[in-house]
Amino acid sequence: MDLSFLPQLPFALSAPIMFGALLAAGLLAGEAANRYASLPRITGYALAGVALGPQMSGVLSREVLHALSVLIDLSVGLIVFELGFRFDWRWLKRNRWLLVTAVAESLFGFGAIFGTLVYFGFELVLAASAAAIGTATSPAVVMLVSHELRAEGQVTERTLLFTAVNSVFAYAALTLLLPLLHLELRAGWLEALLRPAYILGGSLLAGVAACMLMLGLARWLGKREDRQFVLLVAMVVLTVGVARSLNLSVMITLMTLGMLARNLDRRHVLMPLRFGYGGQLFFVILFVLTGAGLKFGAWATAAWLVATLLVVRFLGKALAILVFGRLSGVRPGGAGLLAIALLPMSGLAVGMVRDTSALFPVFGQQLGGILLAAVALSELVGPLATQFALRRAGEAHPGGQGG
Amino acid sequence: MDEMDFRPSAAVSLGVELELQLLRAHDLDLSRGAADLLELLGKRKLPGAVKPEITESMVELNSSVHLHHGSLRDELVVMRDAVVKEAGVLNLRVAGGGSHPFHDWADRRIFPTGRFRAILERYGYLAKQFTVFGQHIHVGCSSGDDAVYLVHMLTRYVPHFIALSAASPFYQGEDTEFQSSRLTSINAFPLAGHMPFVRDWAEFLEYYDKMRGFGIVASMKDFYWDIRPKPEYGTVEIRVCDTPLTVQRAALLGAYAQALAAYHLEERPRAPARAVYLVNSFNRFEASRFGCRGELVEPYESRRKKIGADILQTIETVMPHALKVGGADALTELAADVRHGYSDANWLLECRTMRGSLPDVVREAAARWAGTPAGVR
Repeated sequence: MDLSFLPQLPFALSAPIMFGALLAAGLLAGEAANRYASLPRITGYALAGVALGPQMSGVLSREVLHALSVLIDLSVGLIVFELGFRFDWRWLKRNRWLLVTAVAESLFGFGAIFGTLVYFGFELVLAASAAAIGTATSPAVVMLVSHELRAEGQVTERTLLFTAVNSVFAYAALTLLLPLLHLELRAGWLEALLRPAYILGGSLLAGVAACMLMLGLARWLGKREDRQFVLLVAMVVLTVGVARSLNLSVMITLMTLGMLARNLDRRHVLMPLRFGYGGQLFFVILFVLTGAGLKFGAWATAAWLVATLLVVRFLGKALAILVFGRLSGVRPGGAGLLAIALLPMSGLAVGMVRDTSALFPVFGQQLGGILLAAVALSELVGPLATQFALRRAGEAHPGGQGG
Repeated sequence: MDEMDFRPSAAVSLGVELELQLLRAHDLDLSRGAADLLELLGKRKLPGAVKPEITESMVELNSSVHLHHGSLRDELVVMRDAVVKEAGVLNLRVAGGGSHPFHDWADRRIFPTGRFRAILERYGYLAKQFTVFGQHIHVGCSSGDDAVYLVHMLTRYVPHFIALSAASPFYQGEDTEFQSSRLTSINAFPLAGHMPFVRDWAEFLEYYDKMRGFGIVASMKDFYWDIRPKPEYGTVEIRVCDTPLTVQRAALLGAYAQALAAYHLEERPRAPARAVYLVNSFNRFEASRFGCRGELVEPYESRRKKIGADILQTIETVMPHALKVGGADALTELAADVRHGYSDANWLLECRTMRGSLPDVVREAAARWAGTPAGVR
């Protein structure tokens, strides 16, 4: 009898199986974390990733993770696009102290990490690069927590705004530091200057082009929420793809697209954006995959330094917000909560560390592990902080389903 | 009984309360910014007062007492500018209009004070659906008896105030085909409606004591009537108006109420009649559904008239009194609007046709409220 119609064992883990299984695993772990440990669902998603990742069970090997990196980019793309789309220049124009606070929040966060690393004897330029990377708050964590809680209010809005600002600050600062790093480490001139210029300039240009195309198409489509939703998703996916193909930064390209889409749309052809349940899929996938890629290695060797960095980073940010927050119209008590909400370090740091280390191996050897350990911790604990802050501020919806 | 002592005030003096929408900048839905906004406004010196309202998506402007609608308008402009400016600090927008075109009532949060919580507990979802925005006009009276008389007289004009102020054609994301859909939310309350047919203040107090004795009301605030006497201010309070899209129109409506009150209190042209209350709910419906194009039943002559025509005729009748209190220009302006078929509701409907979506309507309404010329926002 010919049994060739039966599948060969073991059968291959195809893309749909992986995608579906990761979604289900993340979903169940998130729900379990929430039900049995009162943790935010995100922490559960990330823990599922840690369990499946190369550090533990190895179901998700490094090769598989690499193959799935397109999913990470898509998720990050959607999230930073939405974050950019929420970013409102006119608010900063109306409220100058808010602009001052946002800039100070980035600068003080940067300064605190930089100072600490210098104090512990790291070279200036290396310390500055690490500080730039560490300044960013995780767009994914603050977006997902605020979605889950259906949070609304000044602390929520400002958390999102400051996250957009410090993410851009981190990337721009790091890019500007690369030529200095070159002087320090005598890397090739051309690469050290041209590469950041290409990535930054190219990402901006790609974002601008995508925005023009999107606004033109939206005007032609007219004001129908269902059509515009499909258009937004199509443009975001397309732009992520283009950014990847051109070796540009997905984060900068999509943030540019989002910010410009909001602030250049003078005729208001774009409707307000609601990703709803669809967005949730990408959040789950993103956190499972980020969890799988987390590296805790430096915890064994430099736990105290990692912990110190996270603490001073918080203190720096808190100081800026406490000093300038009241002037920008934050109510008493709101400033502290805002600083707590901004705690989670950005998973984007993983990419930045990777890129910087590729150029300058010394950076990776000295500081890569420490930064990655800090990210790992804050991916797991950070959501708790953000959730606590938004709840405490009274901005969570009673029907919101955070844990 | 102190709170029911009628404290006389200068006859036909004028004051208004305006309930306003607080909006999120990014999607133009209702926000929850009332507490933060009130905190910021608390640091400024302002004429009048800004107060919380039932849900966190609204605030209320209270003017001080005026003898002339012009000074009322000027004060409202100052208050409006302050509110718009401080709202900008929080990235909130402010708008007039009787309803938010597309908010979901279930998302509303009750402003956390004892009284508002009690209302939520008592009325359930009605309290959240009560997130509608009205203008209340206070007209001063020198005695409780005058106030009772004036309530009976002004009830005849309820459809006028509805039609002139109508600014809530959209509700829960749909075109209701009403000029004012807001009144429908108020009708649901058990103590909505009108004052009973009492002859004077003494008889009103008797009625009030009875209702208190039954435990149905605890204070005058519990009556959600279209027009009610307000003994603590010494006024009659007209409560059927939608908040207009501009403070200028709010002041015009005040001037109309003032002229009507002056005419009736000075000339006493009619005696109170039960017939006014027989036709009231029919007239009220016509006005909220069709505005000035609706028909009302004139209770004293028992015949039907177009509401718009009746307003124009009334304006002519009360014009001499408007001249005396300095409201002639305001009435002329209102009459012109009636002739041209202008209403804030029609403006909103046109805006939707031109701009294509309800968020656009809200954005334009907010710009109109702020007095920003088109294109500068």
